[in-house]
Amino acid sequence: MLQLFFENIRIAVSAIFSSKMRSFLTALGIIIGVLAVTLMGTLISGLDKSFEKSMSMLGKDVFYISKFEWFGNQDYWELRNRPDIKPEYAEKLVEQGKYVIAASPQSFRMSDMSRDEKSITGVSVIGTTTDYMQTSNTTIEKGRFLTDGEHNSGSRVAVIGYDVAEELFDNSDPIGENVKIGPYKFRVIGVVEKQGKFLGLQSMDTQAIIPLGTFQRLFSRRGFFRLSVKVDKDYMEEAEYEVRSIMRRIREIRPEEPDNFAINKQEAFETTYNSIKLAIGGTGIFITVLSLIVGGIGIMNIMFVSVKERTREIGIRKAIGATRNVILSQFLIEAVLICLMGGLTGLGLAYGLSFAISKFLPSTMPISLAIIAIIISLVVGIMSGLVPSYRAAKLDPIEALSYD
Amino acid sequence: MSAVKAKNGEMIVFKAVKKIYNLGAENVHALDGVDLNIERNEYISIMGPSGSGKSTLMNVIGCLDTPTAGTYVFEGEPVHEMDDNQLASIRNRKIGFVFQTFNLLSKLTALRNVELPLIYANVPREDRLEHAKTALEKVGLGDRMKHKPNELSGGQRQRVAIARALVTNPSIILADEPTGNLDSKSGEEIMKIFDSLHDAGNTIILVTHERYIAEHANRTIHLLDGKIRVDEKNNIKKN
Ligand SMILES: Nc1ncnc2c1ncn2[C@@H]1O[C@H](COP(=O)(O)OP(=O)(O)OP(=O)(O)O)[C@@H](O)[C@H]1O
Ligand SMILES: [Mg+2]
Repeated sequence: MLQLFFENIRIAVSAIFSSKMRSFLTALGIIIGVLAVTLMGTLISGLDKSFEKSMSMLGKDVFYISKFEWFGNQDYWELRNRPDIKPEYAEKLVEQGKYVIAASPQSFRMSDMSRDEKSITGVSVIGTTTDYMQTSNTTIEKGRFLTDGEHNSGSRVAVIGYDVAEELFDNSDPIGENVKIGPYKFRVIGVVEKQGKFLGLQSMDTQAIIPLGTFQRLFSRRGFFRLSVKVDKDYMEEAEYEVRSIMRRIREIRPEEPDNFAINKQEAFETTYNSIKLAIGGTGIFITVLSLIVGGIGIMNIMFVSVKERTREIGIRKAIGATRNVILSQFLIEAVLICLMGGLTGLGLAYGLSFAISKFLPSTMPISLAIIAIIISLVVGIMSGLVPSYRAAKLDPIEALSYD
Repeated sequence: MSAVKAKNGEMIVFKAVKKIYNLGAENVHALDGVDLNIERNEYISIMGPSGSGKSTLMNVIGCLDTPTAGTYVFEGEPVHEMDDNQLASIRNRKIGFVFQTFNLLSKLTALRNVELPLIYANVPREDRLEHAKTALEKVGLGDRMKHKPNELSGGQRQRVAIARALVTNPSIILADEPTGNLDSKSGEEIMKIFDSLHDAGNTIILVTHERYIAEHANRTIHLLDGKIRVDEKNNIKKN
């Protein structure tokens, strides 16, 4: 049996390679199908990884109180009329909230930074308080974070991001050195550990954190604020309820009135992300299924042609003793082999492209998906090869021998 | 198994074998009640005008085709009751077919062509190659094993086909106009091979239109309209 199997593989390989172009065109649908499904998987796995990392920057147990919902689609006029978030809320939330561990107000501004000849543009300057350390999951690599005293006194000290440190100081120690944020001189007191990009877009490492008091004095008194509120992660629901109540009390909102602020959570990203993922997955699956169907039909067609062209050969083989099953498997193996080669080609291309993807997403091709892709091409091969092979198998030897 | 039993020494027993082709309005009786006994080591030629049913008879004997009516017992086995797989197995193990048009696989070398029936017989690779080489040497093509059919002359091709028919050491060799596509010189060479195969104990049936070819055999059957008209021993033995 095994010998016959090898013989049939030999026949199939020689048939496939004797008309390479035809075989390639035949397998194109499968190549594209497998390419689509594996690339989609690679992309999604990459997005998952980068998303997970970004989400950990946000923190599961942190609420972001701001004027607007992150992914909301409320009435513009209602939103416009909402009062601004004030930094003082942070202290009240910490004071009154049982579940609140830390709360920090933040205000942002883009600025250039420089030191002697060196400079870096597009630095996001964050004015905030000591609690930011906890609410942002920031880890200090060198030096220290801001103190309450510095906040109150408006000291010109800065904790700088990893890339800023690298850009302005190369390998020398930045701690205690002076830098300029815009036109103002600051003393570096700490460097934040490398964090990477948020959702692959915004670098978290080109930042400078300065005391909120200093920020307000130098850059803007009435800026745009956001509050980050870190709460007890074992009581998330209670915490949200509590934070909302405190906010409503501060804002003096009557029970029948809706909130005029937004409590944003990491979950909001997840919902949006999942719908993006679904769209990518849906598109990928659609392309995959479509090209597999087209590819399968193409293979079936070529197999019919192949059986027709080789009618005489089938007759000869039958005359010297090939059974129906032997002929059936001969053509079935050919169809499966075309699909398998197509599948492997698609996989190879996808593997190559996954390196390109990994340039901007930390992605790897999932092994399970590669296996699934191979199984899919096997199944397509069997399905599209079965009918033509069966037709070949039940050819009458005499009719086949006299065919020309 | 079957009511019809073969006597000792009888290889092929036909009883009232008919092959009827249904062509819509009319039926063609390609074989119209053939009774035939063939014994081991016979050398038979079949003659008859075109359309008399020679090829049909050969195909039925060779288990490529099955009778519409009647019984066919081959070495005691009822061929008329066999299914497709059993027929394929008989063709593979017991019958060596040689065709007028050679019917070699054009992409395979002589050696691979000859090896093919052994593959279907599940013979291990080494034995296969050995048998195939021996068969090719027997027909005088020991030096043409790696040649493909299009690199061989007509006579050489037919010799490859004979080697392929021989390689499984079959009970009977059937040749349907084996010299029909060859010039008379190559034809004679082919007939010499058949003669020597017969001398070595093989059973051979061949179809021919030529008297001088038929005379190689020691029994000649004349067909007409699907019926055996004459079935005679050849008195004048060739040489
Ligand atoms: N597949 C078929 N369908 C219909 N009729 C057929 C078929 N095969 C053969 N016949 C008919 O059966 C008859 C016998 O044909 P066969 O091929 O056996 O003749 P033959 O004696 O071999 O002739 P030739 O000497 O020309 O080869 C012919 O009348 C032919 O037309
Ligand atoms: Mg004929």
